[in-house]
Order: sequence, then structure tokens, then C-alpha cells
Amino acid sequence: MTLETEFVPLCIEELPALAAEKKAEGARFVQLLAVNAEEGVDLIYTFMRDGVLTNHEIKGVGPSTVVPSITDQFLAAFVFENEVHDLFGVSISDIAIDFGGNFYALAQKEPMTIISPEQKAAREKARKLAAAKAAKERQPAARAAQAEYLAGHPDAHPGKPRGPIEPSGSDDLDARLAGVDPEKVARVKAALAAKAKKASETAAGNAELEKKLAGMDPEKAAKVRAAMEAKARREPSATEKEGE
Amino acid sequence: MGKATVIPFGPQHPVLPEPLHLDLVVEDETVVEAIPQIGFVHRGLEKLVETRDYNQFIYVAERICGICAFGHSMGYAETVERLMGVEIPERAECLRVIWHELSRVHSHILWMGLAADAFGFESLFMHCWRLRERVLDIFEKTTGGRVIFSVVKVGGVVRDIDEGQLAEIKRVLEGIKDDYSQIMNAFLKDTSVKNRTVGVGFVSHEDALSMSMVGPFARASNVNYDVRMLGNGGYGRLSDFKPVLDTQGDCYARVKVRALEVLQSIDIIEEMIAQLPSGDIAVSVKGSPADGAEAANLVEQPRGECYYYARGNGTKNLERMRMRTPTSQNLAGMTTALSGCDLADVNMIVLTIDPCISCTER
Amino acid sequence: MGGFKLGKMTLGGLFKEPETIQYPSQTKTPPPGLKGHVSNDVTACILCGICQRRCPCGAIEVDKAARAWKIDRFRCVQCGSCVRECPKSCLSMEPSYAPPATKKRTDTFDVPKAEKTA
Repeated sequence: MTLETEFVPLCIEELPALAAEKKAEGARFVQLLAVNAEEGVDLIYTFMRDGVLTNHEIKGVGPSTVVPSITDQFLAAFVFENEVHDLFGVSISDIAIDFGGNFYALAQKEPMTIISPEQKAAREKARKLAAAKAAKERQPAARAAQAEYLAGHPDAHPGKPRGPIEPSGSDDLDARLAGVDPEKVARVKAALAAKAKKASETAAGNAELEKKLAGMDPEKAAKVRAAMEAKARREPSATEKEGE
Repeated sequence: MGKATVIPFGPQHPVLPEPLHLDLVVEDETVVEAIPQIGFVHRGLEKLVETRDYNQFIYVAERICGICAFGHSMGYAETVERLMGVEIPERAECLRVIWHELSRVHSHILWMGLAADAFGFESLFMHCWRLRERVLDIFEKTTGGRVIFSVVKVGGVVRDIDEGQLAEIKRVLEGIKDDYSQIMNAFLKDTSVKNRTVGVGFVSHEDALSMSMVGPFARASNVNYDVRMLGNGGYGRLSDFKPVLDTQGDCYARVKVRALEVLQSIDIIEEMIAQLPSGDIAVSVKGSPADGAEAANLVEQPRGECYYYARGNGTKNLERMRMRTPTSQNLAGMTTALSGCDLADVNMIVLTIDPCISCTER
Repeated sequence: MGGFKLGKMTLGGLFKEPETIQYPSQTKTPPPGLKGHVSNDVTACILCGICQRRCPCGAIEVDKAARAWKIDRFRCVQCGSCVRECPKSCLSMEPSYAPPATKKRTDTFDVPKAEKTA
């Protein structure tokens, strides 16, 4: 006996109903993952029941589509929903514990959606080769076309695996600051980073708090709110010190 | 009732081996709510799969975590084998089980040491780690590495364990059993240990199910689930496998489940050595995964169930490799265990889920 | 019930040999199968470059023109792929612990010209 897995297609509208159904039948939420495909991001929700692993696949989620959260049924999904938002840029609404894009500390936004030119070339080459092979089986004349293609595209070879991977997203700020003296650049960069961090932190904190408070009983909510306000009052003094 | 205060806990904290941040909403000394945050050590290993071919990536997969290194390489290899439809020799499957169970022994003993350290029992911590060293020595002799083994490859394993080494493993494990029973006695019977663990961080069976918890953390709340009982790979050859369960759902139960799992793992290793089939240890794997092919797989790591997913794109590189590690699944359960506990018990509870944040962030 | 459950083990430690060794003066004997570091038997090497392609971390560099086989010791992860893939079996893993170092270094093996055998 081995592990049984199955892949089932799913569309976004059916997702809340599916989560409710899985919850009702006592299935266990296994995970949520995203794959960066050509026509958007594929989301795969996995549930397990009676030793059968069922993967429900939503194909091609575009950047404008909002995916409903399943944390109302399975709280354990909050980690994955935040992760998918941060790494793939998929917007998910009403996550129980929403970090608002600050779950992972990343140097670059949505890093998993970036494809380097070498990868693209390698992938296209593989696809062309597969197509050419299929064509070759039908008519031998296609061989010439394939050779021609390869000769015409010297860069279509797979990328070199050696050396550290260059970040492919060109930092336009760096380019703009190239002419200025390095000391100033460092200062400007630090200031920008601090500003961005502060803004995102407060925004995320507030949004997260409000969401959480909505679900609590009023007495508890009031207490937490008071605590957070006290925290916020203390914070400005701390940040001022940091700035000096 | 006191005023609610928010206390930040971590990412640097003496009890935490890895960076985990908790916002603890505290009333007097009682934790009302805990909000976990990770994301301090994201390394982008899943992205790296696009630039390494599927044979090379196994060495990256191993480096996701230093303790479940073998489990990750085995899980990755099994997933790619599923993706490409490769059947590996029986002997390779059994050797993988032996090494995987040895990793469980060393991981659980390491964790017990950390737990002893968390409740301030320094000498117990030292004894645990001293014992773990013997398991690491077995690894060094059989695989050539102490922590990162690099013995798994897609299609089998690269080293065989000969008869002499098998006898040696058996002998060392027998020796461990004696010392281990004394350590276990201290963990399960000592009053000072019990004072810190009994009744702390309770998670009910219903909560454990609804939070989709996995691993020893869930089994301590009587969730009858262990990937090994599905009989994946070499585990199908075991005559009888029953997960170690406990009904208490507190820190003591989690210590107990892990302590008993060490003995269970030693039994599994002995059973495997007794019935190890002879034959090849690897098959050669040619070609690349097909465009759009998908495979999913589960492996029981020392910390719980780990999910693997792979998708091919027709080249030597995979389109996507995903590892969902047990800790990310248990974070929600951890918040449940933390709400209502004493502030002083937070470190003990956080440790009993055996968090591995580097695993979680990859 | 009761405390001091570790008593036997703790007291026993007084009369046993220590489990640790005095490191710089005493050293551990490496087991024979240890993956210490990669070594190249230059007389058999044909500079084919398969090891360079198989290496997951780009530690090996084969320079055919200069007849040199270079390995970056601090990039190498001791996975053993190059040893397994070598068609001439000239690469091997020497079972010895690497000494600590203060600088990263690259080792170069000069491969002599092969004499004509045919």
C-alpha cells in the first residue's frame, strides 16, 4: 500500500463551499501552494481524509482576482495565505491573521514570480525542441527548421549554473543614484528603507488588529485595543531615538 | 483582572534556537492571545529549483533543515521519482527507512535536551546530547557525514550499509537503550520536570483536529495520524505499525510521545535490519520530467508530516518544488496552546511543538 | 515519583572516562567512509569537464587550455557527485577532517599531458 494522491480542478467561486464541505466531513487541511504559471498563478489546496491526499487546483489566478480566504474554516491556512500573498502577489481577502504583506521580510516584492531571461530561453528551447521532435516524426523536413532556429538563436542555450544568481529586477533607484556621491546615497537609502518599514508596519498592525477585534467579544476587544494604543503611544518616542 | 499589555517575544530569545516572533497579549501573568510571526530567515530555496537540475537540487533540499536533512532529501527524491514514474530497488527503500529512523532518534533526543534546557535542567540536557552523539557517529560511519549526509539520489541511494556496519548499528542502539531508559525515567517521573510540564499548554482533541495539527504535537492530543502508517516506500514492509498516542494533550504528553517514539524508531530499525533484502541500491534515471507533470508526496519528519509537490516543465529543471513543513502547519495549534497559559510557560509550550523556523521559510 | 531520577547517571559520570577529547592535543580518528575533501589523481584525469557540469554549487573549474583542475574548497559541499560521475574514476573523497582556515582558498591540480598509449 502506498500513498494515494489525486489532482482535481477547481474554480475560485467553488472555494468557500469546498472548504465548508471539507470541514463538515472532517477532512484535514494539508496545505496551500502557488505555482507561477504563464497565464497567472495556479493555487493548489490540499486536503486529506482516510489516507487519500486530494489536491484541488485553481488555474491561472490573475493579479486582479481576489481569492476568498479559507481561514474561517481552517485557521491553519493563515500561514500559507500570507505566504502566497507575499511571494506570489495573489490578493486574498479576509485572512484571519493578516500581516498585510509583512509576513516575510523580503528584499524584493513577489520574488517567486520573476523569471530570469536564461530560464525563459531554456524553457522556450525545450518547448521548441519538443515541438520539433513531434514535427520531425511527421515530416523529416522539419529538421532543417530546427537547425535554423538553433543557429539563429545563439542565446537559446540554457543559462550557466555557475556563480551567484544575479537579482533580475533592476533597482531603478540604484541607477538614479549612481551619479551622486556614495555617502549621500547610503543616507538616502537608509532613510527610504526606514520610512517604508515604518509605514508598512503601522498599516499592517492596524489592519490586523481590526480584523482580529471583529471576531472577539466586545469586552476583550476593548482591552486589547487599549493595550495597542498604549503601545502606539510609546512607539513614537522609540522611533525618534532611532532617527537620531 | 489587570490591563491588557502586549509583550513581544523573540525573534531573539535564549530558548529559541531559531527566529520566531510572538506578540503576546497579556493580562497580569496570563497570556490571552498570541500572534506568531515568522519571516526573518527566508532564503528562497524553492526559487533555486529553477536554476539547478533535478539531480543537483537534492543537495539544496537537504540544506533546508540541519536536523531533518535526511527526511528532506528522501522526500524530495521520492517526489521526483513519483513525477517520473521511477521504481526504486527494495534495498534502497529499506536503507532510506533505516537512515530516516536514525534521524528521528537523533532529532527527538536533541529536542529532549532542548526541552530540559528550557525548564532549566542543565545536566539532563548534557546527557541527552551526549547520547545523541552516538547516533551521529553511526551516520558518520555509514554515510560519511554527520549532519548533511548526501546519500540519497533520485533513483535510490548512493551508499550501501554492509553487514559489519549493520551489526555495529544494532550494537550501538542496544547501548543507547540502557542510557536512554534512565533519561526517559528522569523526563517522565522526576517531580521537578513534571511540575513544569503536567497540565501546561493543553490542546483538546477537537482543537487538534480543527487546527489541522500534525506530528507528535497532534498525537499527544490523541490524533491517530502518522504518515508512516500509510505504508509509503519502505514503511510498507513493517509488520505492524501503530502511532504512539497520548490523550492528555499537555506538554507532558508531548514529551512522553516523543520519548516513546525514540524506542519505536529503534524497534523499526531493528526490524528493517532483520529483513533487509539484498540487491541493487539504485536505478539510473534518464530524461527529464514531462511538461506539466505533477506529483505530491508526504513524509513523516521527526516534527510531523511534511508535504512535497513537484511540477515539471520538460527541462532538467523543475518548474516548481514545494515543501510544506510541519512547523508551518502547527503554528495555528501553537496559538491555541498558548492562549490561557502563564507567561513563564510560554517558552516551554513553544518548544513542545518543536518549531523549526528555517524549515518553515525555506 | 520523586526527584533525583538522574542520580545514577550523574554519579556514574564521576568514575567513567570522559566522552569528550582534548581537541588540539588529541584528535578524532576519521572513519574510513568519511567524506572529507575531494582529491584528483592527475595522472588519470582527462579534463573532460563532467565534474564541473555536475557540481551543484559551481566549485569545480576545469581549464583545458592551462591543463588545470581547480576546486574552490569553500564552495564545495562534499556531496560526492563529481566522484560518482567521473568517467576515469580519478576523483576521490579523502577521509580526513579539513583543518580550520582563516582565508578562503582554491586548490589547483596541474594535469600533465597524457602520453600516447596507442
